[in-house]
Amino acid sequence: MWGYLRLELLTVLRDRHYLFFTLAVPVGFYLLWSSVFTAERPDPMTGLALPVDIMVSMASYGALGATLMTTGVRLAAERRSGWLRQLRVTPLRARTVVAVKTLAAMSLGLPAVVLVGFASVVYQGVRLSPGQWAAIVVLLWVGTLPFAALGTLIGSLVGPDAAQPVTIGCYFALAIGGGLWLPLSVLPEAIRDVAGWLPSTRFAELGRAVAAGHAPSPAAGLVLAGWTLLLGALAVAAYRRASVAR
Amino acid sequence: MEAISVENVSKNYGDVRAVDALSLDVPAGQVVALLGPNGAGKSTAVGITLGLVRPDAGRVSLFGAAPAEAAARGRVGAMLQDGALVPNLTVREVVGFVRGLYPAPMPLDEVLEIAGLTALAGRRTGALSGGQAQRVRFATAIAGAPGVLVLDEPTAALDVAARRAFWTGIRAYAGEGRTVLFATHRLEEADENADRVVVVARGRVVADGTPAEIKARVGGRAVRFALGDQPAAGLDRLPGVTGLEVRGGVATLRTGDPDGVVAELYRTGLRVRDLEIVTPALEDAFLSLTSKER
Repeated sequence: MWGYLRLELLTVLRDRHYLFFTLAVPVGFYLLWSSVFTAERPDPMTGLALPVDIMVSMASYGALGATLMTTGVRLAAERRSGWLRQLRVTPLRARTVVAVKTLAAMSLGLPAVVLVGFASVVYQGVRLSPGQWAAIVVLLWVGTLPFAALGTLIGSLVGPDAAQPVTIGCYFALAIGGGLWLPLSVLPEAIRDVAGWLPSTRFAELGRAVAAGHAPSPAAGLVLAGWTLLLGALAVAAYRRASVAR
Repeated sequence: MEAISVENVSKNYGDVRAVDALSLDVPAGQVVALLGPNGAGKSTAVGITLGLVRPDAGRVSLFGAAPAEAAARGRVGAMLQDGALVPNLTVREVVGFVRGLYPAPMPLDEVLEIAGLTALAGRRTGALSGGQAQRVRFATAIAGAPGVLVLDEPTAALDVAARRAFWTGIRAYAGEGRTVLFATHRLEEADENADRVVVVARGRVVADGTPAEIKARVGGRAVRFALGDQPAAGLDRLPGVTGLEVRGGVATLRTGDPDGVVAELYRTGLRVRDLEIVTPALEDAFLSLTSKER
């Protein structure tokens, strides 16, 4: 189990695409946005000072992306390449494979959260209490669960060629609709109407609530739990279908 | 208890019957070749044996357990045709990882040694040649010291020298009382490396025996020499000759006893030039066995 987790993490951490898209991009965007949006007043919808608000957005964006990108595309590739078949003749159990892949995908979002947070402290002088930082890291770790399920669903349904565009499509739609690229307060009404139902909005809300000094709303927890159950059930069914002996 | 027991297994893909009531028992310690042309159903049979393909009928057990159960206990190692490697890892990391999954594996350095990977241990899997990658897949198959090793066309991507080194590795592994089942369409590979050859055609077993027995079933070997323009009359009546073919001044005498035929040949008074005893007979055996049932 731990050997497999180590292997999964090593494979991704040595991948330059991962490092670029999930670390360099969110940090770069943070530096850019926090320099461009310099208004003194807080964001009207979240009530957070802009450097803090953008920090949470970009940390969420990076974690979401890392989780999605390291599940779907890799799973599709491993289904095609025969590596998963190869594992099935070893003592490693199928449920361990799924559990480890989920855990790895969730954990691979953490470096982005930590780095963006670090950038906000160094570059914009953001100050939160140690307890708040810890809570943000933990919540943005647990909160990636629905995205790990979505990635597993994509990787089980489509082949390696389609997995990349489908994943990126979901990634960008969730990021934009969830107010991670631009704050929801500047987005059109239509997007704002659906945003509350998106897991990405609620995912970022976990961090925004902690940064604002209070607990996340029950609605955020419910929406995330709902998506996790729905996508998780679909992912398990699709993964079974994709991997059973036929 | 048989190491591998395949009972009456069938598998259809749509209208195509890939495996047709195939049965095969392999006692522990035997090295068995599953020999057949492409499309004979070897890969499907291998997949069923490993529990990767679900048969429509019949059952398989490995050491008395279902394939998945045997795999869970670490008794199975396999080299599949499409088994790819994970990227961004070194040879040592991949082999070490698979090795670590098994309850009683071989020492890592010994695995690398047998597979001829000692010098490549630190290299990333993405930077390997086809033959080197194949050796890594072999290493992952044996790393756990499984009692049953199943190989599907293991030398397909290898050149002659690599093929020889590969079989040396397999023999070193099998020498310790382990069971090996390998699928191949290469006749000499089955002949040279197996204790027993099971010939498969259209999903069925058409012959099963030692390499020598398989050859004997179609008249053994052949004595061939340059006849030139000498008359061929009477050659087919020499003791021990079961067939005669003269083509382009070269006579081929089929026989089960080439030594006796050579002795007789010199008594005929013919000028015998370019004499050779050929053993392409397994190739012929193979063709006649696999086409007989058509």
